[in-house]
Amino acid sequence: MAALPSSDRRPWRDRWFPNGEWVLLFALVLEAGVFSALGPNFFTLANFFEVVRLSVELGLLALALTPVMITGGIDLSVGSMMALAAVVFGAAWRDAGLPAGVAIALALLAGCAGGALNALLITGLGIPPIIVTLGSFSMFRGIAEGITHGAANYSNFPKALVMLGQGYWWGVLPVQLPILAVAAVAYALLLHRSAIGRTLYAIGFSPAGARYAGVRVARRVALVYFLSGMVASVAAIVYVAHLGQAKSDAGTGYELAAITAVVLGGTSVSGGRGTVWGTLLGLFSITILQNGLRLAALPSELTGVLTGAVLVLAIVLGRLRGGVRTRVAALALCAAIAAAAVLVAGTHGWLVRSPRQGARGGHRLVIAMMPKAKGDPYFTSCRTGAEEAARETNVDLIWDGPTGLDPAKQNEVVEGWITRRVDAIAVSVENQAGISTVLRKARQRGIRVLTWDADAAPDARDYFINQATPQGIGFTLTDEAARLLHGQGQFAIVTGALSAANQNQWIAFIRQRLAAQYPRLKLLDIRPSDDDRDKAFAETQTILKVYPKVQLIMGIAAPAVPGAAEAVRQSGRTDVYVIGLSLPNLCKRYVHDGVVQSVVLWNTRDLGYLTVYTAARLSENAIPAGATAFLAGRLGSIEVRGDQVILGKPFIFNRANIDQFDF
Amino acid sequence: MRHSHRREISLAAAIVAIAAIMALAAPGFFTWGNARDLVMANLPVLIVALGMTLVILTGQIDISVGSQFAICSVAAGVFAKLGMPTPVACLAACLVGAAMGAANGALIAYGRVPSIVVTLATMVALRDGLRWVTEGAWVQDLPRTFQWFGRSQAASEAIAMAIAALLAAAIGWGLRNLAAGRAVYATGSSAQAARLAGIRPAHVIFAVLALTGALTGCAASLNAVRFNQVPANAGLGLEMQTIAAAIVGGTAVTGGRGGIVGTLLGVALLGIIGPALTYLGISAYWERALQGGIILAAVAMDAIRVRTREHGSLAVERS
Amino acid sequence: MRLLEATGIAKSFAGVRALKGVSFDLGAGEVHALVGENGAGKSTLIGVIAGAVSPDAGSLAVRGRLLSPNSPGLARSLGIAAVYQQPSLFPDLTVAENIAFSLERRGLWRRVDWKARTRQARELLERAGADILPGRLVGTLTMPEQQMVEIAKAIGADARILILDEPTASLTGREVERLFAVIASLRDRGAGIVYISHRLEEISAIASRVTVLRDGEAVATRAIGETSRDELIHLMVGREISTIFPKREIPTGDVVLETRGLGNRAAGIRDVSVAVRRGEILGLAGLVGSGRTQLAETLFGLTPADSGEILLHGRAVRIASPGHAIRLKIGYVPEDRRRHGVVGEMSVAENTSLANLRAVSRHGMIDRGREGGLARKYVDRLRIKTDSIHAPAESLSGGNQQKVALARWLAIAPEVLILDEPTQGVDVGSKSEIHGLMVELAERGLAMIMISSELPEILGMADRIAVMHGGAVAGTLARAEATQQKILSLALGT
Repeated sequence: MAALPSSDRRPWRDRWFPNGEWVLLFALVLEAGVFSALGPNFFTLANFFEVVRLSVELGLLALALTPVMITGGIDLSVGSMMALAAVVFGAAWRDAGLPAGVAIALALLAGCAGGALNALLITGLGIPPIIVTLGSFSMFRGIAEGITHGAANYSNFPKALVMLGQGYWWGVLPVQLPILAVAAVAYALLLHRSAIGRTLYAIGFSPAGARYAGVRVARRVALVYFLSGMVASVAAIVYVAHLGQAKSDAGTGYELAAITAVVLGGTSVSGGRGTVWGTLLGLFSITILQNGLRLAALPSELTGVLTGAVLVLAIVLGRLRGGVRTRVAALALCAAIAAAAVLVAGTHGWLVRSPRQGARGGHRLVIAMMPKAKGDPYFTSCRTGAEEAARETNVDLIWDGPTGLDPAKQNEVVEGWITRRVDAIAVSVENQAGISTVLRKARQRGIRVLTWDADAAPDARDYFINQATPQGIGFTLTDEAARLLHGQGQFAIVTGALSAANQNQWIAFIRQRLAAQYPRLKLLDIRPSDDDRDKAFAETQTILKVYPKVQLIMGIAAPAVPGAAEAVRQSGRTDVYVIGLSLPNLCKRYVHDGVVQSVVLWNTRDLGYLTVYTAARLSENAIPAGATAFLAGRLGSIEVRGDQVILGKPFIFNRANIDQFDF
Repeated sequence: MRHSHRREISLAAAIVAIAAIMALAAPGFFTWGNARDLVMANLPVLIVALGMTLVILTGQIDISVGSQFAICSVAAGVFAKLGMPTPVACLAACLVGAAMGAANGALIAYGRVPSIVVTLATMVALRDGLRWVTEGAWVQDLPRTFQWFGRSQAASEAIAMAIAALLAAAIGWGLRNLAAGRAVYATGSSAQAARLAGIRPAHVIFAVLALTGALTGCAASLNAVRFNQVPANAGLGLEMQTIAAAIVGGTAVTGGRGGIVGTLLGVALLGIIGPALTYLGISAYWERALQGGIILAAVAMDAIRVRTREHGSLAVERS
Repeated sequence: MRLLEATGIAKSFAGVRALKGVSFDLGAGEVHALVGENGAGKSTLIGVIAGAVSPDAGSLAVRGRLLSPNSPGLARSLGIAAVYQQPSLFPDLTVAENIAFSLERRGLWRRVDWKARTRQARELLERAGADILPGRLVGTLTMPEQQMVEIAKAIGADARILILDEPTASLTGREVERLFAVIASLRDRGAGIVYISHRLEEISAIASRVTVLRDGEAVATRAIGETSRDELIHLMVGREISTIFPKREIPTGDVVLETRGLGNRAAGIRDVSVAVRRGEILGLAGLVGSGRTQLAETLFGLTPADSGEILLHGRAVRIASPGHAIRLKIGYVPEDRRRHGVVGEMSVAENTSLANLRAVSRHGMIDRGREGGLARKYVDRLRIKTDSIHAPAESLSGGNQQKVALARWLAIAPEVLILDEPTQGVDVGSKSEIHGLMVELAERGLAMIMISSELPEILGMADRIAVMHGGAVAGTLARAEATQQKILSLALGT
């Protein structure tokens, strides 16, 4: 073939940044610069690989979504597909007793089937992709919840599988990295080199035009949705290996995060434009932002705010091309991101809230403490006590945790803290099986590890701050219900999310207590509230009508009790009791109005206080092994029982005592 | 406008089918009290879905309504705590919503950023921003006059239902019969043709998004006054519920086609599935799967019906 | 005072000067034709008049009132209505609703009386000579039907200044006559009409004056009686074009493609038996809706046939999809260039290889070098004017886009090529280049089926002419015996 004239060569800018991806490259460099200055150990090879490891699952979904969006479609079901594939794997491996390899194959098959269902409905029946995948988004996760009853959590997988998610090649390279690399290369070949890829772009620009050029549109579109389902199930396997657990809440919210990465990477939502390279840039600009904020101990809420800003900025600026405007745009971008960086840096000191003078002199202890969910009123009240103890013991407190329902987030946060080399980590564990490995890793690196509120595996931590055991809570709640109903009657439970580990444990103990002690007390139904007061309210309304003989509603999540109480009050049913586990402040009015009889809880402030106090004493090596008690500030002498620090018994708040508490 | 009402008919059929099953299996479903509770529970979804329908009709989408809802709820509570009379606090919350909607609208209409990108950005930014500011704390110790506007529960519920009915009727009627309503359809059907017809599509899109913000504020206020404290995480998943209601109700995701009646039926169908399953004694664990399955079955049946009819009618036309 | 007076209008797009100080005027009761090759600036000029394009310089006055700035809304309120080449209708709304838009003035919160609107729409469609139900969705109408709706809209708007941009491009003879009658009645009632067309014979039939645009400049304005066809062509292209149809006699070979009793209920064609030989151009004439395009789409597998048979080199074949057709070396240049002919956002090179990716790829992977070579070959051979083979197809002029569409099908080395309105909306220069190319391809033995609504083109280019009526072939004429009269009478079914 003769050499082409120079006018036929594509300019490098078009080749590399056809959709303004240079903005992202720029943003990445800036992020790296800012966080290298702010975040301890950010700019290290180990951290780089850690970021990559945490990007694998999301990256796989983003890769799968890129061709989907290039054809002008969307697949909202990928996150739910992960849950379904994970549960299928877990059920096949544990319940059916199949070898892990076969179980993996079955999970991949489930992914293919899910993808094929989407493909069939979209291309066979011509229903818009957003409608189809909105439906399968509910259905896939729903099936996963149905199979597991929300509660089943498959774990203790074979070593080789766990290696896949947690191990290293040659001590540094995360094992799952090659999966992402292979997928990225495969998708790049598919989209940018193969004949099929070319037809996908044609379909995205103009489905009719592609058809008139002889492209088999339906078959190609079906292919991308099929692949999307399959890759989502691969992501599910990596996720399961990474967390060491398979549960129906896997991949919650991943679809939107993946779409964000793809769109950020310059893929047009109307189809036709987009590159794999752009998607990867988009992905890493989000994950590096998360990682950097974590290492710099900035609140993780900033991730959302900054991602939103970068998203709009990247699109606006990426669109401007050529001549003076580009330069102006680049300047504007610099200004905007620099302003954001200044904002971040400026608020840094203020947000951490503790004076930093100690940093110059001797080493000031850094204690990192994680709730199950940030922004939950229960944990917010724990934080008050934790900060009080931090001031008293003169340590720096980092308070960070997941802002959504994604169970993988806790692991990511701990990984960040390990890289940052904090002195002690205290975690309220959401998923015991998932987090224990990463906590062990922290201990190996010489970090003191505590668990509070909910425990991990005993060998994964030094002490558990035991405010109350699941058994204690379950039994106390049941006894309280039995006392009010005189040991006989019907009641219903309004829980948090169906897959919430804690609540499911309590429910198990409630059932155990009922069977053993109160055979005439009947549990009618368990309804989810998803930690949403309004949903708890609506569910309680339904319970009251479906089961007119119900005599007591037990709310076992902080927002569930006021929700249920309001529903009972508005129904005018004075014969129905409401009890549960919640914060006194949320229930005070209802307790005084006589709608809520009793609230079971411990002093959350004291829990936060004790956790930080213990962490500080432990880091100073002030608690010798085998100690049976130590002095914890204003709480006085605290009992240590083996590897558990005992706060006290669950407390029952009622009309007589609730006004003495303010949290 | 006056188009074939096939989706509406499919939906109505699905609702009737569910009602028939309930009549046989759980007659307790059809009580006045249950109807009232269902309407009240779905009122916020309905009001926001009205705005969402307009947004989708113009060919856009707004996935930030859930986050807007949370902020408006908190705003209504905070305003009331600052001493504003409850109705004023609610109106102020509507304004807050309108301002957020207007910000979205300005970026979409005048900044020409795709709506899914803008609202994806505002969804995460607003939700995380609110969590950052409130740290999850609820708005408590509201004045006694906050709940139910300080009136009786029945009166207040009647007010809320009347407002929702009025909004639905006004928007539905306006879409059919006002020149402004046609501008919405025209913008979504072909922005270029709309421009040539003297309509400014950018203004229409801006107005519709701002209106959706205001409606979200209204929905949040009406929901907030049913309680005596305001949680900081309200409206989770509201965007999915409202989008699902609108598109299951037959509004085309590409814009230009659809209407309020379909959306009302969509809200009704999605709103009764959950409680109906509870009445039937189906475990909550399978509820989500069934909900997704019913949505898919409804749209699939509709698509199949259209297919067979198209083939049939073409043959008739040409013979 | 002139009805419309444009003075010194200038406009640049991204540095390219589309109009360089054009002056144009229109009197009441006048039809003023505007001619020029594609890219001469006609569309920009009418855009300025209709308020869709804001000029960089110059002034625009209607009945002495200066419009500065102009806008679509203002133009409408002054009675300016434009019918663009691409109908600007709302596909999701009904015909009546679309027409209603032109019947109304301001007032966002005014109520619309739907009964009255539907009645008016029916009347207007009748006046425009269109047999279309007001309740139909515009998205289901054919292109010519949409054009008729546009014209009905313009009549309804009671336009004082009516701009028609290539209104006859997709209309058949009878519809054109009907349109001319409508134009005449509007003119007689004192409206001014700006009429744009590539068909010079139409212009001499309807216009009283003609202005020629070339490269963004108005090079001449003539009274229609004082100019000739040759002069206008000369003014438009700046050079003489010797023969308009370069058709040469070529001995035809064996039958390549033949249909026997071909039918397709869904597409509305029945019992079609036609044959095309090597080196032959088979003209397919008929009114719009007579099934010409449907036959082409059936042969190309877009709407597979359900009765009869297709024979290729004497062997029966089944063509169930465009993919089949391509494998059988059948190519199809569709009528709607922008929607079907090319993918506008993709580059010239990508468009050229799209139907034949196998030829430029190895193991399913595209070889960019080979693809570039292929594109370069056709850009040179078809003289496609483009800066680079990587320029998006939509950045090219209409004629050059059509050449790209052709290049795509030549790249599959076809044995049968179906051309649906190959020169519609193409400027005079490109048109004769495309005709020359067709002759060249015929000499190489390609069998071609050409659909055209332009009778001179059919008569000038085809070896044989099959005339369709109501989904069937009403008759076939040899080149020597064919006349406009005969074709029309077959097409009308009389």
